[in-house]
This record gives sequence, C-alpha cells and structure tokens, in this order.
Amino acid sequence: MEIIFGLITISLCVAVLFLLAFVWAVRSHQYDDTYTPAVRVLFEEQEENAQPRGQR
Amino acid sequence: MPALAPPPTVRAACAHCGDACPDEPVRLAGRPELPFCCPGCRAVYELLDAHHLCRYYALGDEHPGQKIAAVELPGRFDYLDADSVQTQLLSFRSATLARLTLQLPQMHCASCIYLLENLHRLDAGVREARVNFLRREISLSYHPGETSLKAVVQLLASLGYEPQISLAELGAQPPRGSRRLYYQLGLAGFCFGNVMLLAFPDYLAVTGELAAAFGHFFGYLSLALALPVLLFSAQGFYRAAWAGLRQGSINLDFPISLGLTALFTVSVFDILTHRGPGYLDSFTGLVFFMLIGRWVQQRTHDALRFDRDFTSYFPVAVTLLTPAGEQSVSVKELRVGQRIRVRNQEVIPADAMLMRGRGQIDYSFVTGESAPVSRGAGELVYAGGRQLGEAVELEVVREVAQGYLTQLWNNPAFQKAEKQTLETYANKVGRYFVAATLLIAAGAILYWYPRDQALMWRAFTSVLVIACPCALSLATPFALGSALTVFGRRHFFLKNAAVAETLGRATTIVFDKTGTLTDVQRSAVDYRGPVLTRQEQQAVAALVAQSTHPLSQRLARELPAGALPVTQFEEVPGQGLRGVVGGVVVKAGSAAFVGADTAAAAADTSAASLAQGLPPGQLIGQPATTDHLQSRVYVSLGDDLHGCFVLRNVYRDELPAVLADLGRRYRLAVLSGDNDAEQDRLRQLFGPQAELRFRQQPQDKLDYVAGLKRRGETVIMVGDGLNDAGALQQADAGIALTDTLTNFSPACDAILDARSFGRLGTFLRFSQDCLQVVLATFVVSFVYNGIGLGLAVQGRFTPIVSAILMPVSSLSVILFATLLVRLAAFKRNL
Repeated sequence: MEIIFGLITISLCVAVLFLLAFVWAVRSHQYDDTYTPAVRVLFEEQEENAQPRGQR
Repeated sequence: MPALAPPPTVRAACAHCGDACPDEPVRLAGRPELPFCCPGCRAVYELLDAHHLCRYYALGDEHPGQKIAAVELPGRFDYLDADSVQTQLLSFRSATLARLTLQLPQMHCASCIYLLENLHRLDAGVREARVNFLRREISLSYHPGETSLKAVVQLLASLGYEPQISLAELGAQPPRGSRRLYYQLGLAGFCFGNVMLLAFPDYLAVTGELAAAFGHFFGYLSLALALPVLLFSAQGFYRAAWAGLRQGSINLDFPISLGLTALFTVSVFDILTHRGPGYLDSFTGLVFFMLIGRWVQQRTHDALRFDRDFTSYFPVAVTLLTPAGEQSVSVKELRVGQRIRVRNQEVIPADAMLMRGRGQIDYSFVTGESAPVSRGAGELVYAGGRQLGEAVELEVVREVAQGYLTQLWNNPAFQKAEKQTLETYANKVGRYFVAATLLIAAGAILYWYPRDQALMWRAFTSVLVIACPCALSLATPFALGSALTVFGRRHFFLKNAAVAETLGRATTIVFDKTGTLTDVQRSAVDYRGPVLTRQEQQAVAALVAQSTHPLSQRLARELPAGALPVTQFEEVPGQGLRGVVGGVVVKAGSAAFVGADTAAAAADTSAASLAQGLPPGQLIGQPATTDHLQSRVYVSLGDDLHGCFVLRNVYRDELPAVLADLGRRYRLAVLSGDNDAEQDRLRQLFGPQAELRFRQQPQDKLDYVAGLKRRGETVIMVGDGLNDAGALQQADAGIALTDTLTNFSPACDAILDARSFGRLGTFLRFSQDCLQVVLATFVVSFVYNGIGLGLAVQGRFTPIVSAILMPVSSLSVILFATLLVRLAAFKRNL
C-alpha cells in the first residue's frame, strides 16, 4: 500500500502544475479583458490582403 | 401655430454613420451607389476603402461609423507635440518605440475593434494597436521617427474616435483591476479540491483500515494545503474585520473571521493529537465560496468612471500667447497674468478677463443655466464655461486651483476618501449574530460542564464553527450582484452593490432641472408668422447650418435638410447670420438684426434681462433673444421679415409619468441653477408638497442635501452637471443622468442613461424587491445555522456533517438569491 504515498505525491504535483498555469494566465493579462480576444480571433482569418506581420 | 412640416420622404441612410442623408446625398466618385450624409463621412469611407478596410462595415453594427464633426480646428492637437505632455502620456519611450494607452469612449462594436487594431495599415508608423473593449482603451506602440503622437491622435480623431485626453488622465496610469483576488480564489479552489479528496477516506466507513494506515499522512498533508488558504486567501476577511473593530464597529467579517479561526484551530488540534481528520475541507471550501462572493461583489463596470472630478472636464493644454508667438502649455502651468487664446468649443481653463473678441459662453454644465451668456471685452469669464463662436483672448486672473468652480471641491464632502454609506443590513445582522453565538456557546459550556467535560469543548468549538455566517455573507453579494446585472441591461450603472441597497431604502429624491428634467438635446420649435414654403425652409436651413451657435444648430436639426450653397456668409457675433441662398439674401438672428418691428424687440429685451445665475456680469445682446426656456430666432428672406422661430427647452417625455409614480412614494424636491420662470409648470408636475428652489449655487445644493440628511432622510440626488457634483457627493446615492454614457459625468454612485429615465420608478421599486430578497435569503441561511447549532450544542456536529452542511448551505443560498432577484426583475419587466 506504500504506493499510495507515491501516487498522492504525483497527483499533487500535477495539480500544482495546473495551479501554476492559472497563475501564469492571470499574470499574462488573460483575465484583464475577457471580451476583446473573443472578437479579435474572428478577424485574422478573413483579412483580404493579409500582410506579413511580426508576432502580435 | 403650425409646427414645421414633417419630412415628406424617407431619407437614405448614410453608408458610414447611418444618419439620414440630405435630399441630395453626398456621393463618392468611385462608388456612386453609396449615399453619404456629409463630406466628413465620405472622407472616412474613402480612406478605409483605399486601405482595403471596408470589412469595417460588414462586422458588428449595421452602420458602425461615427458622424464626423464638421468643425476642424487648426492646431487643436498641437499640445501633443510638447515634450512635457508627451512624458506624461507615454508609458514607454525610446528612439525607436513609444507606447501609450488612450481612452476612446466612442468604441461600441466589433467593427470598432477591427478598425482600431488595423491602425497600422492607415499609418505605417504604428507598430501595434491593441484594444481593450471593456475598458474602451487602446494600447498603441509607434515608431517616433516615422510618425508622431499628434499624427496618430489626429488620425483617430479623423476616423471619429477622438481620444479622451484630459487633465485627470495625465500622469495617472490607468487603474488596473487588482489581480490579487484571482490569485486568492485560484489558490483556495486548488486547496479545497485537494483537501476534499484527502478527506474522503475518512468519510467512507469501508476504508477504515486505510484511514488507520494513512490518516496521519493525509491529516498533515491537508494541514499543509490549508495553511496557505489561511495565510493568503483568507486575508481579506481578517483585514476587514480588523478595520471594522478599529472603527469601533462589528461588521459581518468579524463573525466570519471568528468562525474561520475556530474551524482552523480545532482542526489543527484534532490532527496533531490524532483525534480525527478535522474540518479542513469545510474550512477551505468556506473560504473558496466566500471569495466567489467577493468576486461577484467586486465586478463593476469597467468602462465607466464614477470618480471623476473637475479635472476630467478641463482641457490638458491651452494656447498661451507670448511675445514669441503661440505656444501650447499644460493647464497646470498657467499663471496669473498670462494671456491665452480659447477657440470655438474649447473649455475656459481658469477664471480670466476677456481681452479681445466676443465671448459666447455656455455655462450649462457648470451652473445649470440653459442658455449661453454673452461677454464683451473687459468682463470676467469663469472656468468651466465653453466658448462658442469666434476665438477669444483671455488674461488669467486666478490660477486653476483657485477658480470659482474648483473651490467647490475644497468642501469637506470631497475630502472623505470613502464616503460613508448607510449601514448595510448584513453588518447590522452580523452584530446580532455575534452576540447570539457567544451566548449560545457560553450556554453550551454551562450545560455540559457538570455532565461531560470532553463534550463541553466539542460543543463549544462546534458552536463557534457553525456560527461562521458563510451563507449569510453570500446572500448580499449574490442578490445585489445580479441586481447590478439587471440594472446594467437597462442602462443604469451602479458603482457597487451597496448603492442598490441604498436606493431601496431612500425616502427623498432631489432633482436638478437643466439637463436632468429638461432634455438639452431637443427643443420644441414653433414658428410664428407667415407660413414658409419648403424652399424657404431649406434656404434658412442652409444658412443656419453654417453656424456653430447652439441655437443655429438646434434650428438646423429641426428644419428639412438641404444642401443649398450659401454665398457671402457672414456671422455677426451676438447679432445673427447673413448669407445669400439661391440669389436671395437670408438673415437670421435677433429682432434688431433682422429688422423686426421695435415693439417685438423691446419685448425681447425685457425677457433677456431675466437671465442670471453666475456671479456678476450682465447680458449683452444675445444673437437671438433669450429667456431661459424660450429663445427666438427671427428670419427674413429678401427684404421682408418673415417671422420667428421660438425654441423652447422641453421636459423629458417620460417626466409626468415618472413623477406621478414617484410622488406617491417619496418626498420630492427640485434644485435649479436657473431662474424661477418655470415655477408654475414645475409646481404642476411635482404637486403641492414638493420643494422647489431656484437660483441655487452648487454650494446651496450641497447644503440642502446635507440638511435633509441631518433630518434623517435617505436622499437620492439626480443631477447631470458639475454644478450638481457637490450634492451628488453629499447625497446617500447620487445618480448622474447622461445622454451619452461615455461623456463626462461628475463623481457619483450611479450613472443613468437618459434613455432609461422613464424607468426610474421601476428601478427604485426593483431595488426594494432586492432588499426583500436579501432578507428572505437571510432567513434561509438562519435555518441552516439553526440546524447546525442544534447539532452543535448536543455535541453531535462532526466533520462529515460540516462537510455536507457547509457547501449545501452556500450553494443553495447562492441559487436562491440569484433566482429570486431574476424573478423580481421579470415581474417588474426589467
């Protein structure tokens, strides 16, 4: 049954990764504006004369 | 008297802005099928078409364009070239890159986002443009070598998105919403989930063997997970409770903190002494749910500013006249004795002496007077007025901070950082809650002490644990939070949930007159004299369309539009307009200017002398004679006088219905900066009990509201201008009425879109409903607390009971509150 210790530790580590992902998402402004990106994503594909652009 | 003839045909909608086009729409050479209402709109379309940005018209709203104001002032954005202004505006600056954030209140649909984010196609110097739609902001970066700040702002203005750059925004970084709550919420959620999993083996009897082997390990692990929740996520509750205690009052956060502490301490004790698994899953769950409540409470309307003061209204820079020529300086640097130039539509930044030119100053926003006043050379003009017509030269007599207008802000009402709101029900209940819990806990000790000491401690701690008013604390944020959403849908924006509660408990409503009861956008136009033919009407329309005077513009809106050319146009300030339309000399203006008979002119002069509102000064020859609710414009075509247009300010259409509704339930009052010409009319509308006060200075309004509050009334103030700012601030709930939401509105607790003015009565009834919902939810949470207490005093409150009762009570209270508020909204048809 000692395997339980290992399993719990591993599962906690995975959970911590998700927590870190959440912190990263908040830090990278993803919760600042919850509306515009949803609209923005619709524009890109439909550009009539798409120009090569750097990273947006 | 016949009003103007209605337009005979349905007009084509402008391809850019959607407004009605004149009979002969403006056309674009390349696209003759598209009608435009004015050359400005056509220019924008042409520009977008040339850069393949016409998708703008295919997204979002049908006609996303902004009507382009015809008046373009040379050198209006010159101040943006000044180094001092740039340092304050730019957030980053190097030789190759500059970055800044601008407010564009005109943004309203997906098309706007599309156009603004493609700004680099219109100006190659722009590197990147990112829109935050909810905040109505654009973050721009550009290459200072290839373009300039002024060019970018000019481009935005020419597209109809003129950035809002005002004194208040200068230097102040845009306020960022705190992300702390997100971190706290995320951490609490993470720990809650994991602790709950670890607690499971204890709750399921079948794993008894397992629990024995791993119980300690799981216990310590849960403890390790709960500790960050206590230290980081729950901070806000302890802080609020402590702040309340320091002010000598007990708020709802106090019993919450007490409960959380008891919960955590008991759990630590149980785990360390191997008595059991503790209540850590309940503890983390509680914090998580209550943080959700906080989050709901905190959500506000990002794009709206509720805390604006006069500095938001003032211009950033003024044109200083020096021996070396014109120079743009920041308003803050303005000193007594300096000469400045103020152009058409610009705001006067400081109290000053008029040196040259004729002032035609619109003080409506500052004092509530509805008509612009005329000032000649040598007279004093006050800060905050808007100059209409020609450019004038002024000499500053008082610095900005000492101005007549700005002195209002020295009043103590503005000094308080956080204005004291009414005590909320939740806090009131919280106090009794603490008393009741402590009594019951003491009772449990007394009862169990002689019988069973072990059970005594168990009962005592259980009572403290169950006393954590988690469900209670969720009731208000969720009920009032969904109320805010309902209000927002109807264009009534509240600063926070506490305002909804205050609205529901109001007893008195005080109104401002100009701009609040009257609709400044509209005026009823009556025509007196021989009937004008349609052609004659168009000729007059063509003439008045040339002028920027507010009366001319109002008249132009009412007359059938036509694109007749006007030659030899001449505007005599303070007198009227003259021009040749279709070979006929057309004149519009005061009786004397047009040549009306002397009797009429004499009558008008006496009317004109009525007006007064601001400190000293006198009226000198208005372009059309004005009393406060009536303005006349005489017209003549050829040599014979035709008649006069009478423009009256009109009360909002919904006003009688709103007042009839409110009058039955509230004490009403009107505070007007205007004269008492309208007294009879208002008395009729408001009924015999209402208090009507005229010629009220901003300070008088503030004092009046303060007096009402001293008498124990709960006051709602409804106003619109800077002159109401003091009263709005002083009132328990200040509602600013505005015709365009993103325009300047003074500091207030709620912003009401004028379109929804008719619903004011319903809004207030609905907020009363919401209070009842809150109270009903309190009852529900008391039932849960009662069940818990019943078990606790018997010493039968175990971790598993807690683990079931806590989430169930929290979730059901959230559901109950939200659904009841939605139901109330549905019943009120909101």
